[in-house]
Amino acid sequence: MDFDWTAEQLSFRATVRRFLAENLPPDWETRADGPASEMQSEFAEVFCGKLAQAGLLVPHWPARWGGRDADAWTAFILAEEMWMAGEPRGGQYMNVNWIGPTLMLFGSEAQQQRYIPPMAQGKTIWCQGFSEPEAGSDLASLRTRADRHDEVYRINGQKIWTSYAGYADTCFLLARTSPGKGGISIFLLPMDTKGITVRQIPSVIGEGDIHEVFFDDVEVPASAMLGAEGQAWEIVRTSLSLERVGIPRFAMATRMLTRAVTTLKKAGRFGAGAVEQAARAKAACEAARLYSYNIIDQRVRGVTASPEASAARVATVMAERAVGEFVVEHLPDALAGGDTMLLAHHQRAIVAGIASGAAEIQLNLVATELLKLPREPR
Amino acid sequence: MDFVLTDDQSAVVDAIDRLAQSFNEKPIDFHGFALRGDALEQALIEGEYFDIVQIPEYGPTAAALAVSRLAQAPFAVEAALSMLLRHALPGDDWPRPLAVVENGRPGRFVAQARTLIIIDGECIGLARPTPDMLEAVDSIFAYPMGRLVGQPQITPLDGATADTVRQWLRVALAAEASGLLQAALASTVEHVSVRKQFGRPIGTFQALRHRLAECAVLSGGVRWLALQAAATGRPGDAALAASHAQESATRVVYDLHQMLGAMGMTLEHPLHLWTYRLKALLSELGGRGGQAQAVAELCFEAG
Repeated sequence: MDFDWTAEQLSFRATVRRFLAENLPPDWETRADGPASEMQSEFAEVFCGKLAQAGLLVPHWPARWGGRDADAWTAFILAEEMWMAGEPRGGQYMNVNWIGPTLMLFGSEAQQQRYIPPMAQGKTIWCQGFSEPEAGSDLASLRTRADRHDEVYRINGQKIWTSYAGYADTCFLLARTSPGKGGISIFLLPMDTKGITVRQIPSVIGEGDIHEVFFDDVEVPASAMLGAEGQAWEIVRTSLSLERVGIPRFAMATRMLTRAVTTLKKAGRFGAGAVEQAARAKAACEAARLYSYNIIDQRVRGVTASPEASAARVATVMAERAVGEFVVEHLPDALAGGDTMLLAHHQRAIVAGIASGAAEIQLNLVATELLKLPREPR
Repeated sequence: MDFVLTDDQSAVVDAIDRLAQSFNEKPIDFHGFALRGDALEQALIEGEYFDIVQIPEYGPTAAALAVSRLAQAPFAVEAALSMLLRHALPGDDWPRPLAVVENGRPGRFVAQARTLIIIDGECIGLARPTPDMLEAVDSIFAYPMGRLVGQPQITPLDGATADTVRQWLRVALAAEASGLLQAALASTVEHVSVRKQFGRPIGTFQALRHRLAECAVLSGGVRWLALQAAATGRPGDAALAASHAQESATRVVYDLHQMLGAMGMTLEHPLHLWTYRLKALLSELGGRGGQAQAVAELCFEAG
């Protein structure tokens, strides 16, 4: 058991930090204005292109797809540094973390050839068409329909809370092709297809983050289906296992906690109450970090679907909450024009228990799969 | 980063697990507060397990896992300070068992101790008491508790050594708490899985499942932080581990007793053996406020 980095890992982290220092504009930290704002999305396209040229966008992907077969630690160190810097990759982090790898596992040759190279070059944004007004945690009850008519599917329905939809080129869409949990299929749907309407929903998360997406007689060729008809549940389980410990939220939370403490110390406001709460938050961040690292260590050893990933997600939500509450209570001025980065973190942290699935679902999984408690009757 | 034990570490941890398993059953005629594990202690002495931290192939990580495993036994043995602190004391003639006397209060294993760590405010000293200087104390805490009634000769520690002692006391506390939390949690999971109300096991109710799952996440976090603190030997990691242990135990002990209902109030059920040991740990080393101060000093130094 070793809790320190290897020389090679330290060197890689230094390389990423050097890249960030050279490629983020000097005023980056004062203009972060929501994870999916117009500014962030436009910046991300240029930035990801540079990352790709430097071999830092998808180093953990196979060489065939523009990577260098680096291990899961490399990918996670990269993700930590990006998230800590305010995620300058914008929505493209999803391509890197799970959309690309999912296409590599389940995509047809034509789908892979069409979609993976632009991801590896940092040129494309995807959105995730999962949640619907009546299907959030109960995703299997989704109603958006894809009806087959000869060689096309005609899609009708609505998605909601869709991040990055305003700028996305392609949607990773879940739609119903027949009744029941086994009747859901995945479509890779170009967002400029006729019949798609996107409406932004103003939110406390920041500009441009969440949307409603409407599908009115949207026609896609049958070849746009990922995997087989009805295979969505199997594919999504794989995707979400990558996403569950995908964003190293604890890294940004830790950095922002230190930033808030530094500000409070300078102002002579780091009193006993703040000290206790800061310590609690710091320990929660550290617990989340080690939980997440355990999952990465398992990935390196070939274990990809561990119930401990659910515990890691819950620990991360606890850490985000602890840091968020610390800042709100002891440094509220940061959220009122005082510190753009602390504000940006706050806006991202409030969705920690919601985005990529409600934390309560993870608690159910911890109860059933880790603690082996009897299941709830249905 | 490598979260898997070496073969040597696995072997020694497995050996301690097998040993502890033979002491896993609580005697059915025991209805007291503290259950002393004299036979288990003797077996650990004979196996020379109290010194595994000194063996390079095992080191503090294996020692922390051993402490955590032994804390899951219903029988209480002074293992944490022997396994995780003794190696850090100046000189090598400090006999076990070890115990802490913090600001004159009764402490765990004080009546049995042959070495005392005496904390008086910011000062720390070491002493070898004679048995007549020590007195057993009845308490609700499920450890054998005792107090210092005589005046042993105290060897004061310099600032740096005192800091090292505080660091390993924190690691020992976190490792012990980690095992206690795991055992208390397992005991509660067993109860809610079979106890039926409203026609079904109460462990099927989401209100309890979610609370228990959160307790499990907290408990697992304590384990990771304790192992990290043992492995790295960094003072900040030790402060974080002890802080998370006391914070988590405060909440988990309450929740688990709620789930056991009146059964958890009885001395027939073993839950109190772990929860009341956890309660004994809550006030140690300054309690949560003390750990928070240490975290603030050691982990936010850049500010």
